[in-house]
This record gives sequence, structure tokens and C-alpha cells, in this order.
Amino acid sequence: MFSTRRLVYLSLLLAMATALHLLEGLFPIPLPLPGVKLGLANIITLLALYLYDLRAGLTVAIARVFLGSLLGGTFLAPGFFLALTGAVISTLFMALLIKKTSCFSPVGISLAGAVGHNLGQLLMASLLLQNQAIFYYLPFLLLSSIPTGLVTGTLLQGLLTRLKEAGVFAELTRN
Amino acid sequence: MTRRGHLLLILCLGLLVAGVSVYLSERRIKEYRSEQFLMDTLVSIKVYGDDAAALPVAVAAAYGEMHRIAALVDRFPLTGTEECRRSDVCRINAMAGIAPVRVDADTLAMLLLAKKYQELSAGAFDVTIGPVMDLWDFAGENPKIPASSSIVATLPLVDSESLEINEIESTAYLRKAGMKLDLGALAKGYATEKALQALVRQGIQKALIDAGGNIRVLGSNTRNAPWRIGIKDPRQGDALVAIVTLEDAAAVTSGDYYRYFEADGQRYHHILHPRSGYPAHENMSVTVVSQDAGLADLLSTAFFVMKGEEALALADKLGVNLVLVSAAGRIVHTSGLAAHLEVLPGGAYRYDPR
Amino acid sequence: MTRGDKLLIAAVLLCAFLGLLTIYRHFVISSDQRFPAQATITVEGKVLCTIDLDPAAGQELMQIAGRLGPATVEVADGKIRMREANCPEQICVKQSWIASPGSTIVCLPGEIIIHVDGPAPVDAVTR
Repeated sequence: MFSTRRLVYLSLLLAMATALHLLEGLFPIPLPLPGVKLGLANIITLLALYLYDLRAGLTVAIARVFLGSLLGGTFLAPGFFLALTGAVISTLFMALLIKKTSCFSPVGISLAGAVGHNLGQLLMASLLLQNQAIFYYLPFLLLSSIPTGLVTGTLLQGLLTRLKEAGVFAELTRN
Repeated sequence: MTRRGHLLLILCLGLLVAGVSVYLSERRIKEYRSEQFLMDTLVSIKVYGDDAAALPVAVAAAYGEMHRIAALVDRFPLTGTEECRRSDVCRINAMAGIAPVRVDADTLAMLLLAKKYQELSAGAFDVTIGPVMDLWDFAGENPKIPASSSIVATLPLVDSESLEINEIESTAYLRKAGMKLDLGALAKGYATEKALQALVRQGIQKALIDAGGNIRVLGSNTRNAPWRIGIKDPRQGDALVAIVTLEDAAAVTSGDYYRYFEADGQRYHHILHPRSGYPAHENMSVTVVSQDAGLADLLSTAFFVMKGEEALALADKLGVNLVLVSAAGRIVHTSGLAAHLEVLPGGAYRYDPR
Repeated sequence: MTRGDKLLIAAVLLCAFLGLLTIYRHFVISSDQRFPAQATITVEGKVLCTIDLDPAAGQELMQIAGRLGPATVEVADGKIRMREANCPEQICVKQSWIASPGSTIVCLPGEIIIHVDGPAPVDAVTR
């Protein structure tokens, strides 16, 4: 499993991700598109992927959805399953791009994550509703994932720069 | 984590997702629908709920209630037959001018309702219309225009004053020989309401009963939105003039297009004005929206014979809503429906929202 | 932002627009040349047959046996009606043509139901 140091930092990341998850639930984007979110919690998942590896990223993403929905009172509600599949698929997408490619900045990775999140959500929703017509919604979600992915990606980029400038990055990644 | 560990994690997640989706799909709302020929019409009941086994039971109970009411009000079995002995209306009619007849609590309730609204509508509605209905013979092989002299001679028998109802003894009595009750204008609605109550007693929370166009809905529709009920265009095949949205309410229409015959280029339909004995000619159709299907059925007939303005005024007074297509082709409705009614474009009618 | 990022944005945009185009075409086509509607004829509680209401097809007469004897159903121009029926009141015949999904013609004495299938615009019709 994780080293103690790693475990502590991951817990901190998880706490932040959960807080962001809840915060976002409180302020929905005033758009006529249900399910569209900024994806702030995704910043922390991506940070975990950059700092550590897929295992850490998945841990943060999955535990964040569980904790967030438990605290938010949506545990095992349909929205929980949507968020869970969304988070897992988006983490897998982002990890794949980080590991196998080198041509994407955090902005691009974040965008891929947003797209993955929407795909996962729709996949789960079509399973739950037993209705494939819901995929007609995909183009709208794809369009919405561009601005949200860009915003979270830019935020993360800033975060990474600050962490490196402050020398915290090295400390965080020390084993 | 090892490669095996990853695989295990993904497998577990997959199982969780699959299990949950199966569980949720099992819990999805089920529909059960059934149709029966009943009360001279086709009755269709649709119920929705989680427990698939309970739905047919509830629908059977609802049809049971409708059959029971239908037997009580059946007007045409031959005197002396078993059907007549079971029909309160048949027995009351047979004993007109002779003696009071002990009746079922539901017959009593229908007669009280009829008498109350006969007075409130100033005679626009009358359950003692039977003798004049028989002259026209709408239900028979060859409906015909009766001689005006025979209508004039029969009209004194249309007289709710001479219908005595004793609530304590639970009896009903037509004082004049030859008088006849005809509960056709409210029995279907009353039975629909009874059927709905039976569904509620069986734990149903979402249902739609369509008794030949008398609509009663329970709860909201399958998309958890109000039920959308079309109002038939009185002249155009299967076109609609408007859509009304309902929850936990009834919509019943009386129109001149359903049961009618034509003679000398004139249309003679089955809704007679109780005071003239001739088909009413103020409106093409009147739809009443109310919480109670029995009341909606009765009032749709009452409003149908009235002038539009009078009908609107009475509807406001009684706290029910109506949509009316006047004989001149004007669509009007009570203000209470404004937020629940969508008048469709393209019809041959004039509509000026008030 | 790297070149790769920009390419990715372009790819997502392209996918979204292709998707929108597909939806648009699907709906335009479905409203222009819908599959012909179908009508189901039920006699005494049993489904007798299902007929295509194809506007392009010509007139078609169908004899069916109701409870009170024969009845004639006519299909033409994507509509259907009860042309003749062996019942006293002739309510089903007077109802004339129907075509929109959800509408029905009912012959009570003959226990014949003609129902146009398909998603109806309303949950029920009061008449």
C-alpha cells in the first residue's frame, strides 16, 4: 500500500477534493443543461496523477465521490452512480494521456478528463434509464466540457507552477 | 498496487455498477393496462407502481366497482328479470307512482347529487329526463324526431320535484306514474370516481382511467409531470382543439358529435334540454375539469345546455373549471384554467383569451 | 497551451458538431418522411391484425367479423375509418377518419377497436 508520508498527503488531497465536490454541489451553474459542472474536484484528482500515479488518482477520485455523496446525502442515489462512473473514466483518460503522451499541457489533460467524465456519466445514465436516446445529449455535454476543462486546466497549471516555485512539489513527491 | 490489484479493483467496480443498475431497473415503475366494454363504452384503466403483482389486483377491484355501479343504474332490462331486480333505477322506474323503493347507498348518493345540481343549475340538468329520452330512442335502431305533441305531453313527467329521496330510510320514489330516471349523464363519471377510490384503497398512487372519454387521473404521469389530456375537436375526426394538464383531477366532455342522427340536414344529438325536450343547441362541446369525475360528468351535461356566459358564471360559482366550444365556434374557458390549458392553433374556432 | 491542447480542443469541437449535425438530420428526416404509422384492429379482446397507414399506398378495404357480424374497414391516404358496420347507432362509422397516433375508433356492439399506434402527443383524449 502507500507509505505513511504518501498516505498523509493523499488524505489532504482527498479532504480538499471532497470539500470542492460539496462546494460545487451548492452552487450549480445556471445553465439549462443538467449535469454540467465545472469539475473543480477534478483538479485534485489530476494533481494526484501528476504528483503520484494512477493508483493515487483513482483512490482520490473514488473516495472523493463516496465521501462527497455521503456528506451531501446523495449516497447510492442515481447521481452518485453518475458521479462515480464519471470520476473513474475521467481519471483513466487523464492517466492514459499523462503516461503515454507528452504533447498535452495540464489544460489538455483536464479537457480530456472533462470529456471522459461526461462520457462516463452518460454511459451510466443510459444503463440506469435503459434508454439509449440519452446519448443525443452528448454533443451538448462535449461542447460544455471545453470551457469547463479549460478553466480547471488553467487553475491546475497555476497551482502546479506555484507548488514548484514554493518548492513544495519536491516535498510532496518525496517517498 | 499490482496489475492483479488493478484488475480486481476494476472488476469489483464493474460488479457494483452492474448490480446496482439491475437493482434500480427492477425498482423501475411498472405499468399495467386493461380494457373492458362496460356501461355502453370502452373503459381503459392504466395503473403504475413498483409492485407488478399488486397492479392487476387493484385494476380488478376498480372494474368490480364499475360493474357494481353499472348494474345499479341499468335502465333497460325487462321488468321482472334478475337484471331489473339488481338495478335500483329499473326498480324505481317500475314502481313510479306506486311505492318508494329501497336503494343502495351509491344510488342514493347519485340521486342526491342529481337533485342538488338540478336546483343549482335551475333545471339545466334533470335525471327524470327518461320519458323524453325514450321518445327520441337514441339508443335504438331508428332514432327519430318525435311529434311535438308527444314531447309536450311527456314534458310534465320530467320533474325532479316529484322525485322523493328519503335519506334515513334509504328509499327513492317517483311520485307520478310514467316518470323514469335516466342516470346516463352522471353514472359513468360516478362509477369512474368509485373505480379511482378503489385503486387508491389498493395503494395505487399513479393511474389514468378513460371511461369512453371521461378522464380521471391520479397523481402525475410517468414522467412525473401533469397528465396531458387532449380535448377533441367537435367537428374534425381525430383532431384536438386544446390540451389541458391535470393532476389528481377529472376531465369530462359532453358533445353533440358522439351520439346523434341527421334528418332533413339537421343534426339531432342525445343531450336534450330538460325543459324543451329537444337537443340543446348552444354548444358543440363542453369539457368540465373538477376533482370529482361524477360531478364533472353531471356538470358537463348541465353546462352543455346552457348559454356560454351562464355556464361560465355557474362554473365560477361552483368552483369548477370548463372549456367550451360554442355553437358559433368560439372557444372560452374559466380563468382558473388559464395556466393549465393550451389552445391549439389551426382549428376552425375563434379563441380570445380572457 | 501546447499544440496538442489546441488539436484536442478542435477534435472535441468537431465531434460535438458532428453529433449535433447527426441529431439535426435525424430529427429533420424523422419529421419529413416518418415511417408510415400503423393501426391495430382488435376484435373481442384479441388482436386481429396490424395495418400500415402508408400515405403512398392506395385505398384498401378490409372485411372483418365483429361480434354483430361483418364490418368494413377502409384505409386510404394514411388514414383509417370504419366504412360500414352492422351496429344500430353507427357511432363508429360517424367518427370517420382517424390518423394521429393514440386515436381510436370503438364499435361497442361489435367489440371492435381500431387504434393508431405510436407515441401520442397526449396521455388521453376527453370526448
